[in-house]
This record gives sequence, structure tokens and C-alpha cells, in this order.
Amino acid sequence: MSFFRITLHRSAIGLPKRTRGVLAALGLHKRAQVVFHPVEAQFAGMIMKVKELVQVEEVDRALTKREVHAQRQPEKGFFVERAVPRMGDVGVGVLGRVAALQGQGQGQAQEGEVRL
Amino acid sequence: MFGPFRITNPLSGGLLWKIPWRMSAPQKYRQRQRLRAVDKVVETLSTALAKKGETLKSLELWKNDMPTEAEMLAKDKYTMFDRKAKRYRKGIHKLPKWTRVSQRVNPPGF
Repeated sequence: MSFFRITLHRSAIGLPKRTRGVLAALGLHKRAQVVFHPVEAQFAGMIMKVKELVQVEEVDRALTKREVHAQRQPEKGFFVERAVPRMGDVGVGVLGRVAALQGQGQGQAQEGEVRL
Repeated sequence: MFGPFRITNPLSGGLLWKIPWRMSAPQKYRQRQRLRAVDKVVETLSTALAKKGETLKSLELWKNDMPTEAEMLAKDKYTMFDRKAKRYRKGIHKLPKWTRVSQRVNPPGF
């Protein structure tokens, strides 16, 4: 069973009550909100009424609110784009540490990106 | 006549908003993007329903009557019929809520 993934892209401020009613019936209350509805003529008709305001995709299953939220989160962790000398590096030598990092990273280090 | 206290419409009348008579190039660009976005929604709906073998009257009517962005003439993308305007055309940006309503077809011959 497939679903429409409907995102409210444009606000309905100042539009007729009927239009805002259709959005409310779809469960859309604020911009960038995502709702899922099964692929049926009934829901397609409602989307047709507000087609200027929404973005629609066909997806295989309806995600829960939590899953949609998770999709919006950035990846955890961070990238160090270039190794920088630190205060404790006096004995080891900056170049030595950078070389060690590059040794770990193999191919990645060539592009100047080391995942820590 | 001249100088900072000259009588102009905004100075003597207070609030005066002017809408330029034609759209700028970026306005036209964004208008095309919006037209395409609507086309995309309609296409998604029709393919999804076609897979299930269902039809929808409003969808069929739209597909029969409304040209897609690529099929539209520049005249119809950026201007619309107005019986009061000179040469019966005015910029589509004069239509209230023009970025959120569909206005694609005009009377034949105009």
C-alpha cells in the first residue's frame, strides 16, 4: 500500500476559508509539516484543491512523526577538515601527528578530510 | 516644484503603493518554478492513482484543460486577460495572491 507524503510548502494565510478547511482536513496546520495519507481518489481530490501550496511524493509506507523528525536531524559527530597544531604537540611534532592521521584515513586523508 | 518639499503623490497623500506594470526577470523565473511545482504535484497524483487503476474527475479536467508550464506561451505565463486594460492584458502579478493561485488559461482570441 502506498502513501502520499504531503508537505505544506506555502502558507494559506489570506486564502479562502474553503482552502484552509481542506488543509485542516488533511491535517496540515503549519508550514513544512509533513503528513501521510493513503493513495486514494478521496485524498487525491483534497490535494488537488491545495496543489499550489503543497509538495507531494508517493512513498511505500507512512512514517511516524518520530521518523520524520529523525530524517530532519543532522548526522551526529563532526568532520575535521584539516589537522591543526595543538598545545600538547611539542614533543610529537605537528607533522608527525598529521602524518599519523593521514595514515589512518588512507584514501580519505588525500581529500583533506579525516573522520574522527 | 523642486527640492525636498515638492508635491509628489507619496508626499501629499501618505501611503501610496505602486505595482510595476511588468514583472522582473527573477519574478518570472520564480513564477515558472511555481508553475512547474504544480505540474509535478498533478503528475504525482495521476501516476499514483493510475497504478491503482483509479480516476479522479478534477484531475482529468485539469489535465484536459490546463497546459503544462512547457506548453504555455510566455504571454499566458506572465500576463492575464483584463477587459479594462489597454490591449486587454495586465501583468499576472496584479492578481491578488498571485503566487498561490493558478491562472493559466485566458479567453480565446485575447
